[in-house]
Amino acid sequence: MTIRAPLVVDDRERGLFRVHRSVFVSDEILQREREEIFGRSWLYVGHESELRKPGDFVTRRVGGRTVIFNRDRQGTVRVMLNTCRHRGAEVCRLTSGNARIFTCFYHGWAYDSTGNLVSVPDGDSYSASFDRHELGLHQPRVESYRGFVFTNFGPDPGSLLDFLADARYLIDLVADQSETGMEIVAGVHRYSMRANWKLLMENSVDGYHGLTVHQTYFEMLMNLGITPPGTDGNRETGRGIDLRNGHGVVTNPELGSPLMSPEVVVERDAHRVALAARLGAEHAGRIAMTRNLGIFPNFVIVDLNWGIQVRTMYPLAPGHTEITGWQIMPSDDSDSMRRYRLGNAMSFWGPAGLATPDDVEGLEQCQRGFASVNEVEWSDISRGMVKPTPSIVDELQMRVFWREWNKRITGTGYEAEGQPYDAGYLRSDQGARGTTQTGASR
Amino acid sequence: MTDLDLATVTNLTRADVEDFLYREAALLDEWRLEEWLDLFTQDCVYEIPPPDLPDADTARSFSLVHDERTLLEQRVIRLKKPTAHAEFPHSRTRRQITNVRILGHTGDEVMCTANFAVYRMRHGIDVVYIGRYEYVLKATPDGLKIKHRKAILDQSVLDPQGKVSIIL
Repeated sequence: MTIRAPLVVDDRERGLFRVHRSVFVSDEILQREREEIFGRSWLYVGHESELRKPGDFVTRRVGGRTVIFNRDRQGTVRVMLNTCRHRGAEVCRLTSGNARIFTCFYHGWAYDSTGNLVSVPDGDSYSASFDRHELGLHQPRVESYRGFVFTNFGPDPGSLLDFLADARYLIDLVADQSETGMEIVAGVHRYSMRANWKLLMENSVDGYHGLTVHQTYFEMLMNLGITPPGTDGNRETGRGIDLRNGHGVVTNPELGSPLMSPEVVVERDAHRVALAARLGAEHAGRIAMTRNLGIFPNFVIVDLNWGIQVRTMYPLAPGHTEITGWQIMPSDDSDSMRRYRLGNAMSFWGPAGLATPDDVEGLEQCQRGFASVNEVEWSDISRGMVKPTPSIVDELQMRVFWREWNKRITGTGYEAEGQPYDAGYLRSDQGARGTTQTGASR
Repeated sequence: MTDLDLATVTNLTRADVEDFLYREAALLDEWRLEEWLDLFTQDCVYEIPPPDLPDADTARSFSLVHDERTLLEQRVIRLKKPTAHAEFPHSRTRRQITNVRILGHTGDEVMCTANFAVYRMRHGIDVVYIGRYEYVLKATPDGLKIKHRKAILDQSVLDPQGKVSIIL
């Protein structure tokens, strides 16, 4: 199959938006995604809280590469490609730990925590042109924003802050929740689905599927005495917003407080009062809403108040995706609040949650349906295209992803849609937070 | 607790535990989930630790499952509905329970462990979940009940399993 054109139809006059289903099944498309998207875009690596002490490291796959994500002996957060400069073997074979030295077991080349090549067994047998200073572990560009660390494998990435555009304000609404910092909770969900990765990016910001796919979850909430928004007949709550550069969000009134003990209610309310005192009532009110944030190309934060899911996904094949899910929470939460958050998070998210398996089932059913791509060529993502302020059940935030995707894959860009993000709730001292450039590119 | 119950637990043999676990496995394979739920005490816990941290405290980590009685009941109610999409139509499952051992007694409770291979077949795709169970079984006037059921997966990455939409 060769790549056809157009792949994305954005018809503003008629209010129609379509995506050609070949984008979910074509090997050629996947190859181009690997080069033009995963090879050039800022990609989420991990959170600084995963690396508490100098020497701490985790290894994980990012954009198809295995990387060492570590804090060096001086405390600098780094991302290093996990491949020996000699013959290519992975120099670190553990998933996490603390190390001063990474030694390749194949021939014994060793690297320090900053990536420098510090030992080459029998090194005096090399010629004068062999320069070990040039043979440290490869380090792509690394920048972080409010503790969230991103890397970019491309030659000329531009700044992370420019890339994040208005998505930074949504990251702020997560990071602002604790004065002592947010932290990733122990326990990582790594699982796969038999569906294209982009379907999960859509699904992660899709409010339209909530009451159909997750009917049993909402019924569970109602069995426990909760009335979630949208179940009273009015589904047109919340807002979908174009955050520019392919990032989009849906925000909604909070989902209710399932499984909440009286003790936790008191603590949650006190936390909100403290937040309002620290940030202002409007800002704290914004934090108390839910947000499903999609950061192009493959990073998602779903903040439902009682739990915050951080998620990445990567294509192993057009119809096979590896997914990683974490929980992040305020580091100063009490034990009862921690148990409350995690209890709800587990009841909803993950391979054994009461919601996630139904999402995955839906996406796998779509992928099966794409077998008819030659006869049924287009998927429709038009909902709410003619509205001035699309709601949570509209599809603006998915169109935002697809416009950026199309620009990167085909070179054709489209105009932004809808009202820009209104950050008017911010006080003047809260507007300008910068990124941290870290490590050193090599 | 009566003396009779205590006697029942301390006299329990491995064969008794095997009979109990095999009966439980059959209820799950036959999707008789309400009857399965009746095997549990009111203060029960069903849990699956995070695949990357099998020793983690499931209530304080991002585990796969930490169900106390209320959530376990909701899990069963959900799984029996046709709108539990991941399990409609139901998977076929087949459970192999082996290496059953009694680890010890405390009062009217007995601790035991077993290995499992749970096969799940659906849409022509077969996957297998491998791991180990830990049980705390309690003697009650209504017979042996499950107070604590922990399924510890050996797979640290759920590929190709993907979902754990069945009871493991």
